[in-house]
Amino acid sequence: MPAIQRAAQPVDWAEDEDYEDSSALPGQQIISNADGTKTVITYRLEDGKKIKTTRKIRTTVVKEHVNPRVAERREWAKFGKEQGNVRGPDISTTTIGENMLFKPSMNWKANQKEEVQSGTDMKTQLKDKKVACRICKSDHFTARCPYKDTLPPMDDIAGTTTASDDVAAPDMNEVGGSRYIAPHLRKGAAGAGDKLGGASRDFGGRERDDLATLRVTNVSELAEEADLRDMFERFGRVTRVFLAKDRETGRSKGFAFVSYAERSDAAKACERMDGHGFGHLILRVEFAKRAA
Amino acid sequence: MRPILLQGHERSITQIKYNRDGDLLFSTAKDHVVCAWYSVNGERLGTYQGHQGALWTVDVNPTTTLLATGAADNTIRLWEVKTGRCLKTWDFPTAVKRVEFSDDGTLLLGVTEMRMGYLGTVVVFPINPDIEATQAAEPLFTITMSGSKATVAAWSYLNKYIITGHEDGSVGQYDGKSGELIQDVQAHEPDFLITDLQMAPDRTYFITASKDKTAKILSVDNLKVLKTYVTDTPLNTATITAKKDFVILGGGQEARDVTTTSSRQGKFEARFYHKIFESEIGRVKGHFGPLNTVACHPKGVGYASGGEDGYVRVHHFDKPYFDFMFEVEKMASAQRQLQ
Repeated sequence: MPAIQRAAQPVDWAEDEDYEDSSALPGQQIISNADGTKTVITYRLEDGKKIKTTRKIRTTVVKEHVNPRVAERREWAKFGKEQGNVRGPDISTTTIGENMLFKPSMNWKANQKEEVQSGTDMKTQLKDKKVACRICKSDHFTARCPYKDTLPPMDDIAGTTTASDDVAAPDMNEVGGSRYIAPHLRKGAAGAGDKLGGASRDFGGRERDDLATLRVTNVSELAEEADLRDMFERFGRVTRVFLAKDRETGRSKGFAFVSYAERSDAAKACERMDGHGFGHLILRVEFAKRAA
Repeated sequence: MRPILLQGHERSITQIKYNRDGDLLFSTAKDHVVCAWYSVNGERLGTYQGHQGALWTVDVNPTTTLLATGAADNTIRLWEVKTGRCLKTWDFPTAVKRVEFSDDGTLLLGVTEMRMGYLGTVVVFPINPDIEATQAAEPLFTITMSGSKATVAAWSYLNKYIITGHEDGSVGQYDGKSGELIQDVQAHEPDFLITDLQMAPDRTYFITASKDKTAKILSVDNLKVLKTYVTDTPLNTATITAKKDFVILGGGQEARDVTTTSSRQGKFEARFYHKIFESEIGRVKGHFGPLNTVACHPKGVGYASGGEDGYVRVHHFDKPYFDFMFEVEKMASAQRQLQ
């Protein structure tokens, strides 16, 4: 239809050429279907290709009944402090709050607790992640492995470099570059953590020095290892002081480990230093727990 | 559910009222200003200015033409809803704690404070619904409270009774025509103030909230306690929802008590109870001060709460709210469908 009309009209010479063009696009077609829908076919050119688009459209009329009194009040002019202001909410007086779930239920108290538990970000993030044991590769934590005491980790058996890659791979895929990666998962770390763990196991029943190691927390940011050593050496020979430091700022992270040669010294230190003021903070000293 | 926060007030909210169609919301606060809002989007329609003291109460007449407010400047003012013009000011010797239009909009009651040697009173004014008419200067009658002062009051169905809530936890029933005391019931614990009294949509029963941590539904005719809702915090307000059989209670630890009580949480939540079964079915958080007032949309599609924090939060209920039913209710509705 449109094509015929256009042909009958006197055509501008500039348009004429366009019209003669064999690649001219057919006009839009609208077909009414039996089921009340409409099919709209349009054509367009893209990269020299003719593209046909067929869309099926259903039109529904939504009727809303508005109370005439309410509708009239919607038209009222503003007054008082709002006088002269335009229609629509003003952000200085009206804001939208955070979305919240309100679902009445008989046992809402129990539900609320569950929500709190499942609401923690880590849990939801890791919900679909699989746990793989480093020892037997089945779906439990390494610490819970039944072969924990009998088998060394798999990556110790395999070549060190490939093994560390294997271990790192599942995590590295998920974890972005800026995220924290545990030292033993870092490339090139060659499973140092595991080896240490493995090594300690080789001592047999005897723990390396865990028995005489104190965990000191709530350490001032400005503390140095030497300060701690000075303080703790009063109770006996200190074999090791490790103060956790931020890699970038070089400042203390607020906790440290102090190892004594003798457990009795450690016990004494633990008793005396717990609650001791250091800097502007009060130290908390306890025996280090064995790493799982 | 996404609440709309209304921040038009600078001090704590004292009362919120929806108009009868539910499209407008009126709020009063201690900052001397009354605000009118569109309930659907939280847009402020305007403010009513003129009061010289903290506002305690607001009510709108059934046709949404007149607005009455009571304030600590010892006046009740009548406003034209549409323009914010003050039509009439009634002066009293003491502050006005509660105003309410009767169901037909022809009467207005006001509760005045007992202070400075004056006894608490309930005054009733005739109201001419015509905006341009001059309103009567003198009340039809005045009920003087010789005992404990009234803190709240409301009209029953057909203006038959005036129901009052008192400072000592009692509820009084007065004749709506003459102001005679008919009966008096100790509904709440003695010496615990009744903080709110709101009528059900049909005005045959009402809910009271008290500092004794309970809310009760009483019958208008015989003041019999029909339902009791027990909470763990002093209540400031209670309302009955339309459409669903719920009640909404609000309260919380008062700011001045925060340091003297052991509980860490302020309990500043709106609590939903089932009206019939009296069990708690949920809470809505949001305020960071005690709730001073809650009002339910007359069509039951939402509610608004005002707190000591100065915010009004307007909520529109979601589908789970309307779907919720107790097991017995579900069974009953299934049986009805079978028949």
